[in-house]
Amino acid sequence: MGRPTAACPIVKEDAGLQPTITITLDGREVSGQPGMTVLELAEESGVDIPTLCHHPRLPSMGACRVCLVEDERSGSLVASCVAPIAPGMVINTLSDKVLESRRTIVKLMLASHPDACLVCNKGNRCQLRKIASDLDIGAVDLQRIPQLASIVEANPFLERDLSKCILCARCIRACQDLVVEGAIDYFRRGFTTVPTTLGDLPLEESECSFCGTCVALCPTGALMEKEGAYRGTAQTVVQTTCPYCGCGCSMGLEVKDNRVVRVVPGKEDTPNTGTLCIRGSYGCDFVHSPERLFTPWARRDSGLEEVSWDEALHIVASRFKRIKDEYGGDSLAVLGSSRCTNEENYLLQRLARSVLGTDNIDNGGRLYNAASRVGLGSTLGFSGTTNHLSDLEQSDLIFVVGADPGSSAPAVGYAIKRAVKQRGATLLLADPRRIGLALFAHLWLRPTVGTDVALLNGLARVITEEGLVDEEFVGRRTDNLSAYVESLKEYTPDRVEGATGVPALEITTAGRLYARASRAAIVFGTGITQHRGGTDGVRALANLALLTGNIGRRGGGVYALQRENNGQGACDMGMLPGFLPGYHSLADATARRQFEERWGADLPARPGLTALEIMQQAQERNIRGMYIVGENPMVSFPDSSLIGKSLASLEFLVVQDMFLTETARQADVVLPAASFAERDGTFTSFEGTVRKVQKAIDPPGESLPDWEIVLRVAERMGAPMPYSSAQDVLDEIADCCRLPAYSSYEGVDQVDPEARSLDRAESTASRGVGRMHGGQFAEGFARFCPVEYVPPARAQREYPLTLLGGAIPEHFGTGSRSSRSPRLQRFCPEPFVEICEADARELSITEGEKVNLVSAIGRASSVVKVSGSVPEGLLFMPVSFPGTSFSGLLPIVTDPGTGAPSLKACSVRVEKEPGM
Amino acid sequence: MDDATITGADLAHIQGIVSRHSGQKWAMIPLLQEIQNEVGFIPPQSISIIARSLGLFPSQVQGVISFYTQLYTEPRGRKIVRVCRGTACHVRGGKTILKLVKQHLGIEEGETTPDMEYTLETVACIGVCALAPNIVVADQVYGHMNPRKTEALFRDHEQRERYAEPP
Repeated sequence: MGRPTAACPIVKEDAGLQPTITITLDGREVSGQPGMTVLELAEESGVDIPTLCHHPRLPSMGACRVCLVEDERSGSLVASCVAPIAPGMVINTLSDKVLESRRTIVKLMLASHPDACLVCNKGNRCQLRKIASDLDIGAVDLQRIPQLASIVEANPFLERDLSKCILCARCIRACQDLVVEGAIDYFRRGFTTVPTTLGDLPLEESECSFCGTCVALCPTGALMEKEGAYRGTAQTVVQTTCPYCGCGCSMGLEVKDNRVVRVVPGKEDTPNTGTLCIRGSYGCDFVHSPERLFTPWARRDSGLEEVSWDEALHIVASRFKRIKDEYGGDSLAVLGSSRCTNEENYLLQRLARSVLGTDNIDNGGRLYNAASRVGLGSTLGFSGTTNHLSDLEQSDLIFVVGADPGSSAPAVGYAIKRAVKQRGATLLLADPRRIGLALFAHLWLRPTVGTDVALLNGLARVITEEGLVDEEFVGRRTDNLSAYVESLKEYTPDRVEGATGVPALEITTAGRLYARASRAAIVFGTGITQHRGGTDGVRALANLALLTGNIGRRGGGVYALQRENNGQGACDMGMLPGFLPGYHSLADATARRQFEERWGADLPARPGLTALEIMQQAQERNIRGMYIVGENPMVSFPDSSLIGKSLASLEFLVVQDMFLTETARQADVVLPAASFAERDGTFTSFEGTVRKVQKAIDPPGESLPDWEIVLRVAERMGAPMPYSSAQDVLDEIADCCRLPAYSSYEGVDQVDPEARSLDRAESTASRGVGRMHGGQFAEGFARFCPVEYVPPARAQREYPLTLLGGAIPEHFGTGSRSSRSPRLQRFCPEPFVEICEADARELSITEGEKVNLVSAIGRASSVVKVSGSVPEGLLFMPVSFPGTSFSGLLPIVTDPGTGAPSLKACSVRVEKEPGM
Repeated sequence: MDDATITGADLAHIQGIVSRHSGQKWAMIPLLQEIQNEVGFIPPQSISIIARSLGLFPSQVQGVISFYTQLYTEPRGRKIVRVCRGTACHVRGGKTILKLVKQHLGIEEGETTPDMEYTLETVACIGVCALAPNIVVADQVYGHMNPRKTEALFRDHEQRERYAEPP
């Protein structure tokens, strides 16, 4: 062992515990940790070694041999990316021998690489070309052995030109180790080797999910985005956060001439670790959609017409003022958006409360996450995901229930699959549909739709009956156990089997698996929260986690997936009736006074209406004016015809959006908003971390970022707000919200106090409640909340089938953005309904046929897809297609706990389209 | 490959072999060899079954199969003809023997006769250079090959083929 050298500049902070290894690198002594490779140490010490196959986020494999260095003592050449450092090593990275070999290796690659650099779209991004020119290689004096390959890809996203492949296996490792899709691997050997799919099929016929990770990692032009024209090298790459789901993946926007030409995985060390999904990689081209709104519009006799900002703001301010003066502030309502930044939501709720004088404010997140907020709040006293995504990969068991992370939150899906594949974690899945994760599941329970509470209580009963309760944790940290155990009496495995259709044996096995895992995490999504009784489902899950002491531990916890990118942030910012920013209750006079002093205005003291109540009151004409920002209730709310009537009965409706959405068409004034790429701010991911959004390009036409529009409206209404940038707003948020995620946020790199508290809880070896409340639950104890299973309404004879709505990877939200992304739209242009073979036969319908789905309140037409993923009696339909409203089929049934509508399932019948 | 060449019984047989090695990644190659010995080749339909059982991706299993020239995803003849193309055999006329075998069987290297009787391969050396030129038919070595002996080996087959041809 080499002695640690104190003078060494690169000894890591925590090196005190571990011995360091010193080697001589190009005549200089440098030290590193045991297990480091020569390449890693060289990188750390600022010595540049060229490489093609190595990537810090992939396991090393030494495929390209470009990183060869000379071990002076043995005289041999070693691949530095796989050679571990050893004490006393003497490494030369630039000796004649190294350079000569390196040149030969690169020349050999070039000898079988087409001479097509000038017409290759990879252009200056090609690393092979860069390394060749760095090594002074011009013409290649070796005999050429071209690898002929034809390009056969029909998908709109990427193409493979394997004549340019250098077999570095970055794509293979990305596919198998990062996103764990496993669509490609080496095929054949020797000169004929290619990375390809099973059966050498085109990508669209394979397992490929088009996440684009391999494309971003390919060092040559072998894998490339499909681009109509040569777009050249980006001038800048702006690091920002993905605007689609709640994962909060960092992404880099490659910008040239004020256009986003490409999207690549972000550089920052966020949980997506160099990956993106189909939406992130290819779905952001909605930014340049010709359908964007470029100017404000206002309704005249002949319909919506373009007007100037001045005029539009004048109308908005005067009409709102008039309604407020005539009918009071309570006759106004504001819908904020879980897609806008924290800053924008903060400003909007300030505008609503301090200028419009109403607390009738809500956000679309009500529809998706209210159940988890209330459910977790009432049990754990903490209203969000309890652990970080990186923790999930440390779990020994992951219980996924009512969620299809592969579609709704791909980065979470990747993490789960990595945990299963690479760490051998057990995956317990409860889903009626055969989702992508079913292939990875050790036990897959298939409950009937809407029976989750019975299933979860059944699992809890197995745990309590068999003495698998974590007595110590439950005794020290929780409350109300006996009432809870009492409530579980009824839920014997046999009865639960009767209710859910899951065999009793599987229930017992699942309960034991979950309880016996030393670190077990729960991941749930809209399959729990959007059902009627969603709050109870969440409580049942929290109870399970408490029972087994899986709260506040690394690798444990409860993960509440958020559907929207800023669902968490919008609620944190007080875009909820009755809650000021930071969840300070409006009823709390001290908290209210603080905000009143800060904003210099009186705030309404009575909690306002929730989103659906606002719509109902609009119909009663108690709400007369509405301001909707970045939300599309015509599609996202249930019973769209009713919502349409509500909006039509308003006196004045302002919609602020990027596109003329179904809702915007009903507006009196439409204000053009900027996209995520055109503004600064922050999003809060589902795990509660604040992520930076940076402006990459200028907004098109006269459109403006939402926060600027809100400031202009406030100014016109005679109450200017003292902010000059999004950063000013964030400073105030950090100051007044008292939420650690915001107070600790300092730009890109942040130290999370919650992560530290978790570390502390771990190191003290007590099964504590790290992350939350510095080791203590808010009220000292977490509380078991007994929940009763309410069977779903019996299917009526006219509507014998259950229609389940859910996410698909290609489209998102209400589809207002993803349907305007040309590539996503081309790949998945039509809404479809999945039906199992037996039902299809019975109804004598075939694949590709058009059918009508009829529910008690509406109908929707759709194309049939016969699929093995749904059981008999169940239909599945993606929710994200505007125009074919899934929500139009849903009657309004609200959750008693949250007032949020059920948006997941309804009873339907299938009718053949006449004339077919 | 034609789906009809693999029967349900074959697939059930493969399932049986695979289930004995569930979760054992190390067993992939012995497992593949066993399937090949029993079924004659590794049917492409079995790749996903093998992969799921071993906890691998189908593309990984395919990668291993395609790497080894002795693993086949297409059905092969009952008898494998290996003509030696090593140096000693070459010097003593191995090239002509190969040409004759091709003529007699009516197939090229790597191909199988339509009646599934013979598959023709070449090998680099079989280790009995003293008997050159050599061929191996169904694991039986035939040394000191000449045109007459070659004809004798495949005469029956050739005649059968000829009579089987439509008039």
